[in-house]
Amino acid sequence: MGRALAVGATVSRRRESGGLESEVLALLWSAEASLTTAEVVEALGGDLAYTTVQTILTRLHQKGAVQREQAGRAHAYTPVLDEAGLAANRMRAVLDRGGDHTAVLARFLGTLSPDEEQVLSQLINRPKSTGGGR
Amino acid sequence: MLASMGIPFVLSAVFGVAAPRFARRLPPAVATWLLSVGGLVSAAGCAVVLALLGFTLIGQSPLLAAQGHWSGGALRRADPIPVPVAFLAVVLLVALAVRFALAAVRRLRALREAYALAAALPAAGGELAVIDDPGLQAYAVPGRPGRIVVSTGLIRALDVDQRRAVLAHERAHLTHGHHWHHSLGQLAAAANPLLHRVRGAIALATERWADEDAATTCRRDTVADALTRAATAGTRMPTPVALLAVAATDVLGRVTALRAPAPRLTLWRVTTLVALVAATAAAVLLAEHDTERLFELAQAAYRASRPQPE
Repeated sequence: MGRALAVGATVSRRRESGGLESEVLALLWSAEASLTTAEVVEALGGDLAYTTVQTILTRLHQKGAVQREQAGRAHAYTPVLDEAGLAANRMRAVLDRGGDHTAVLARFLGTLSPDEEQVLSQLINRPKSTGGGR
Repeated sequence: MLASMGIPFVLSAVFGVAAPRFARRLPPAVATWLLSVGGLVSAAGCAVVLALLGFTLIGQSPLLAAQGHWSGGALRRADPIPVPVAFLAVVLLVALAVRFALAAVRRLRALREAYALAAALPAAGGELAVIDDPGLQAYAVPGRPGRIVVSTGLIRALDVDQRRAVLAHERAHLTHGHHWHHSLGQLAAAANPLLHRVRGAIALATERWADEDAATTCRRDTVADALTRAATAGTRMPTPVALLAVAATDVLGRVTALRAPAPRLTLWRVTTLVALVAATAAAVLLAEHDTERLFELAQAAYRASRPQPE
């Protein structure tokens, strides 16, 4: 129905928010190897300006979130690992303590019973064209 | 008077059952606000009534009567509240006050810890802190500023669009201050056990709110896919039991809701809940008024029993 319209309207909304930086960083983390600016632009869906992505990558590099190396005439970027490992340990410590400390953290994930998991996997396996549901 | 004292408890009990049910059928942002503010009014109202009930008994003590210039005997004779009821109210009030205070301290401590954690996370990535962990994790950590934590395991399990959905979901938790709603729900449930379901309902409503918010930056199906993938992908971290209790966020319900069109505002549900809360507040005011009249009566008796100075 109005889905195509809705998608078009929301793209600009995403751009306004500072979320693009997070998306770029997450993308670099998901990649097996280092990525050039052009590769980042392409992976993020192509409707972004090259210079926008370049600016974000430069900022991330200045802040020390990513490191870069020369790849031909361009730079290729990889995320910095050390601090992430430390942060993981700290997170783990908080989570392991459980109780109210973790109640404050809002999570994306939920937990599933085996039954629910089966229902969900049936939902996934449904053909994509009808997957929109009613 | 006994009736006006009882009504807030009945309404509160009705709210405690009806609100979580209605909330599932309302737009989650509206549902969250109705639950948290309604829970607050409901809990505060019942506490006030317990205090009023108790005071009709405590006010009969000679010490207080002398202080307040009312007649203890006249109060006892005019008081329509049976002594056991008033006594029970005092006991309940004290017990619930302790419960409330403990919950408030726990909550404050947890919030402080979250703020400290948000500040301690590596700042290089801006709002996003990636943790190097094969498990599937995505959290919003409230703070100044709040942070989003995502594990490398989750990042690798999702595609570009699904990652965008997860980030938008966590961002929604932070920008809409969902931890404040959670706090209200927790405190309301501690102060008034009739509202114990409201707390979980708020947790669910804020998850749905963040889902719907994410669905404005990408397709609804993408959010549903991300949620499904994250919940079913192979290696899941064992979840601490305490976390389950609070954040049993009903993945299946959320995915089903995302596969359907966004819920519309049903006016009768909103009106019913607002009316329940307004009626609770009105009944509390009435009870307060009745109690005041009772004490005015006792004060008149006090004045009449004393020789006039002139």
